[in-house]
Amino acid sequence: MPNDERGRPGAPATSLSSDKSFSAVRRSSPKIDGRGLILGRPAYTDDLAPPNALVLRLVRSPHAFARILSIDASAAMALPGVACVLTWKDCPRIPYTRAGQGHPEPSPRDKFILDEYVRYVGDEVAVVAAVDQRTAEQAAALVRVEYEKLEHLLDFEKAVDADVIVHPESGIREMFPIGFEPARNIAAAYGMEIGDVEAELARSEVRVEGVWRTQAQSHVALEPHAAFSYLDLHGRLTVVSSTQNPWHTRRLLGLALGIPLKGIHVVKPRIGGGFGGKQHVHVEPFAALVTLKTGKPARIALSRKEVFESTFTRHEMRVSLRLGASREGRLRAIDMRILSNTGAYGEHALTTFMVAGSKTLPLYNKAAAVRFGGQVAYTNKVSAGAFRGYGAIQGLFALESAMDDLARKLGQDPVALRRQNMIKEGETSEVFRIMGEGTEGIAMTVESCKLEYCVKRGMELSGWDPKRLSWEEAPGKIRARGMAIAMQGSGIPLVDMGSARIELQDGGSFKLHVGATDLGTGSDTILAQIAAEELEVPVEEITVYSSDTDHTPFDVGAYASSTTYVSGSAVQRAARKMRELLLETVAAKFGLPAGEVAYERGSFSGAGGTKKLGLEELSFDTLYHDGAAMRTLSVTESFTGHKSPPPYMAGFVEIEIDAETGKLWVMDYVAVADTGNPINPNLVRIQLEGGIMQGIGMALCEKVRYTSEGRLLTNSMMSYPIPTREEVGRIRVEIADSYEPSGPFGAKSAGEIGIDTPPAAIGNAIFNATGTRLYSLPFEPEAILAALAARRDP
Amino acid sequence: MTIAFRVNGVEERFDCSPGDMLSDLLRSAGHVEVKKGCGTGNCGACTVLLDGKPILSCSFLALRAEGREVTTVRGIEEEAAVYAAFVTAEGADQCGFCGPGLALAVHALRSEKRHPSEEEIRSYLAGNLCRCSGYAGQLRAIAKYLEAADAE
Amino acid sequence: MDIQTLARPRSIGEALELIQKKGGVPVAGGVWLKMHPRPLALAVDLSGLGLEYIRDKGEFIELGAMTTYRELETSSLLAERFGPAFPAALGRIVGVQLRNMVTVGGTVAGKYGFSDLNTLLMALGARLALAGDGEREIEGFFLDAGDKPPLIEKILLPARGRAAFESMRVSGGDFSVLNASAAYVDGSWRVALGARPAASRLCREAMRLLGAEPRPAEPQVRAAARAAQEEGSFSGDLRASAEYRRTISAALVERAIKECAR
Repeated sequence: MPNDERGRPGAPATSLSSDKSFSAVRRSSPKIDGRGLILGRPAYTDDLAPPNALVLRLVRSPHAFARILSIDASAAMALPGVACVLTWKDCPRIPYTRAGQGHPEPSPRDKFILDEYVRYVGDEVAVVAAVDQRTAEQAAALVRVEYEKLEHLLDFEKAVDADVIVHPESGIREMFPIGFEPARNIAAAYGMEIGDVEAELARSEVRVEGVWRTQAQSHVALEPHAAFSYLDLHGRLTVVSSTQNPWHTRRLLGLALGIPLKGIHVVKPRIGGGFGGKQHVHVEPFAALVTLKTGKPARIALSRKEVFESTFTRHEMRVSLRLGASREGRLRAIDMRILSNTGAYGEHALTTFMVAGSKTLPLYNKAAAVRFGGQVAYTNKVSAGAFRGYGAIQGLFALESAMDDLARKLGQDPVALRRQNMIKEGETSEVFRIMGEGTEGIAMTVESCKLEYCVKRGMELSGWDPKRLSWEEAPGKIRARGMAIAMQGSGIPLVDMGSARIELQDGGSFKLHVGATDLGTGSDTILAQIAAEELEVPVEEITVYSSDTDHTPFDVGAYASSTTYVSGSAVQRAARKMRELLLETVAAKFGLPAGEVAYERGSFSGAGGTKKLGLEELSFDTLYHDGAAMRTLSVTESFTGHKSPPPYMAGFVEIEIDAETGKLWVMDYVAVADTGNPINPNLVRIQLEGGIMQGIGMALCEKVRYTSEGRLLTNSMMSYPIPTREEVGRIRVEIADSYEPSGPFGAKSAGEIGIDTPPAAIGNAIFNATGTRLYSLPFEPEAILAALAARRDP
Repeated sequence: MTIAFRVNGVEERFDCSPGDMLSDLLRSAGHVEVKKGCGTGNCGACTVLLDGKPILSCSFLALRAEGREVTTVRGIEEEAAVYAAFVTAEGADQCGFCGPGLALAVHALRSEKRHPSEEEIRSYLAGNLCRCSGYAGQLRAIAKYLEAADAE
Repeated sequence: MDIQTLARPRSIGEALELIQKKGGVPVAGGVWLKMHPRPLALAVDLSGLGLEYIRDKGEFIELGAMTTYRELETSSLLAERFGPAFPAALGRIVGVQLRNMVTVGGTVAGKYGFSDLNTLLMALGARLALAGDGEREIEGFFLDAGDKPPLIEKILLPARGRAAFESMRVSGGDFSVLNASAAYVDGSWRVALGARPAASRLCREAMRLLGAEPRPAEPQVRAAARAAQEEGSFSGDLRASAEYRRTISAALVERAIKECAR
């Protein structure tokens, strides 16, 4: 049964280690790189760039949509210190996608490194390379571009079949059917139906419906995107990049540049945060292009303005939802229709939109009929891409708001309504089988689901009382509670694959090479813990290196909440195999059958304890002493999930609204999560807390805004504020006791689930405070004030 | 032009243009422990101490540092290492990009105020943004660190 | 930032000469410098003029133009004379690091609409001592479109008074959507609204309604707040609409007056 101390603020870090059978996992080991990072050791891409590298500066479009008539770089080239100015005429005409996804990509290949057309303010026009930053900036300002300004399209709700066509060019294509119709401004489309939704809605005694809108959100990882490139002594292109997916980056670079993959080496150093924002190629092609043209090292680090203007945002969505239920509150039908805005290019267009259904609809698996469908539209805005929550947060905002509306209509406690309908351990959902990420899904039985516990515990911790969901705390200070539940996934089954290599090193420690990409989450530490657990050695005996296309085995990268589950399983497999290999090797040395050698915490023994050997001795034997038997003890293993076990969360919020200004404060956010068995409870908890804060930011203050000409207004951290440490009263997170049989030591995932509940939970609290449903994010004080005023006016 | 100032107690000379910001000058001279997050004075990643006071080096004209004492996290390394142990014990270091700037801000807080309340900690460090941790873990770690450090 | 020459004068006279005769652009805290749209041929660094001070001159208080927000916020003299108004107005602006750089003179000279400090200074009836150009009332200075950059040497505050500051922010790190300040100095009330989003303005009708009573009655306060709401001019920007600003203005003014009258 759950241990009460678990995950409580102030509880000792080891309080989760209730299971004595673990020695390295279920422990809050400090992150192995944390100390060095805090002490400022050179670690991030731009810290490591060669000082003699050419510095890149991009010329960007001032227009939302235009055709480039001419580019005159003569004045720029005349400036001393300028190495080159490259335009679309210098680039191979190869369509590609910047989305870091599996192969073939579910995103349309609708982008060229540089193109004759520019499709949003900030789109790349030319690359300037010079000896230093100042010269590059001066030269970029001297590049004269003549544009034919075209009529632009900003409103995604008017995009489909509009007169303006964002992608009129030929040569762009989908890799498999995704509903790609550029002539209609449709990047992707999809539809499915289980049962007969209209019939089930018709026989439902209670129905609710609404249209919810979620905004574009910026990632704001603190490290701006950066890369540098050079030719190694063999003439191969080396690209060091702040990327979440080195192999996708290599594959997409090879595609876009038209060079074989063996000619490219991608290295990922430490990453200063990603949240999906570095799951794409943004800067690498430009550095590579300059290095290939000049033969010289080249570096690029985006300014924050460029990060806002020219990397990606969360997909803006319009979610139309209808629910039907019996008088008793049994859900009969869910009908979800979505229009999503992918901006100028279609990265992650189909998949984020599908996840809005595939990772929300199974929550209520008892509905007899479910329909999901819609389109993803092109507009002349900054492209949308992967962002933590990845569609699920958009879908859940609508679904979990509608569930509260339904509860209100039924006269039920919103929590009770959910408990009656939500998915339980041992159950399944047809949606798992039908909907994958761009393809068909994989049928799956849910083997671990502690949602019932999460909800009950959340009620206890938050003091949930359905009879008192709103009250006046003091004159003009209105308090209210709201809640929401959520699910996510753990990698993409039979698509995501990770690998790990473990080697016994001289001295008796192990080298763990993984392609998995630690972007600050602590995955290097978690993977080391998994290896240490299997090999019965302290975590410090595992030296981790990640990730590098030359030196570590393949991994798709860090996204889709995959690293612990997918890459962690690969590590577990490799560690188990290493253990077998060690036993075989020692048995041969002892002259015993393999089954007769015992291994415990770094020591081998056999023949009734008369034969003993330690790892250090073994390592010197196998590497130096064993003559013809000398060998490197090394194993490589891979893993792909046959399922994507969802983590779950119940989030309960208490808000306070200033009745005179509409200012909303989050006083307390209680979250209880089922992440499977936490390999590192502290790191899981921080993932959840950090996700919740980003979700609160999305709910309350973050919104990407444009002028009517398509110029980004929110292009600095001054105009796009993210939550500070003074914003939120308390965040209280607990982790449920859960064990996922298919995961490494019972683990699932924690990367995304935290972000999913705040928009709906806070929206429901506002509803409880005002009696008015706010359908659009973020919840601005003005709208909250209007909702309060509506309550007062009978 | 060439200017000189002390960095972490050592006099250094820099080739400097009038418009150079201190963060760029420091980074190009190899002090890459000074991070650049926003360039507009909002995020705190570029925090350094100027004559002991925390400032934002991304928004500070480098020429103004002439003859003064600049401290980066390397200049308080011993103290920062103790602090780092508290942060990593909570798992609150995460991507680490805000780490050096935050360590310097915590140092400045300590030098200005002993035994700060939770509210005072939050308020003093409000200019150091973190997008990973949600701040709760950092607060747990910093409160414990300051309690231990101030008890000495 | 593209600056051709950064002059570092050591005296006010030298600085004034560079600014007024050579067209130099004065640089105070320098935090907004990078937002400057054009390259600067001549920037004039004011940090070497010894303008960092808070002085009690008996009849009034002098703030050197280069005094930082953090110095104002933590000044025991200002706290003693005006209560928590300065920490209230300054303590939530971004972070300590920024407040160690931003200066009172730079803020006033920039006439920044978003400024919290300017609204408080308006309410306090600050006067500006301009190098080589005598004294000016802060209100007149803000209203004057004057194209020549002045060189503010110091800001003069009344010797004592009560003041309060209120603001509404959507999120902590952001600028105020609207701010209000009320002050009771030498037997009369001054009320200002700022971040409208244009620069601070006095609310004269509200001030008139408050009269000379240090603790005005509730109906009087409400009437003043409503007057401020009606006489104020507001517009919309990316943070809020004009309508929202107008709606909340009465509440902020009322709170500021009540806090000041406590």
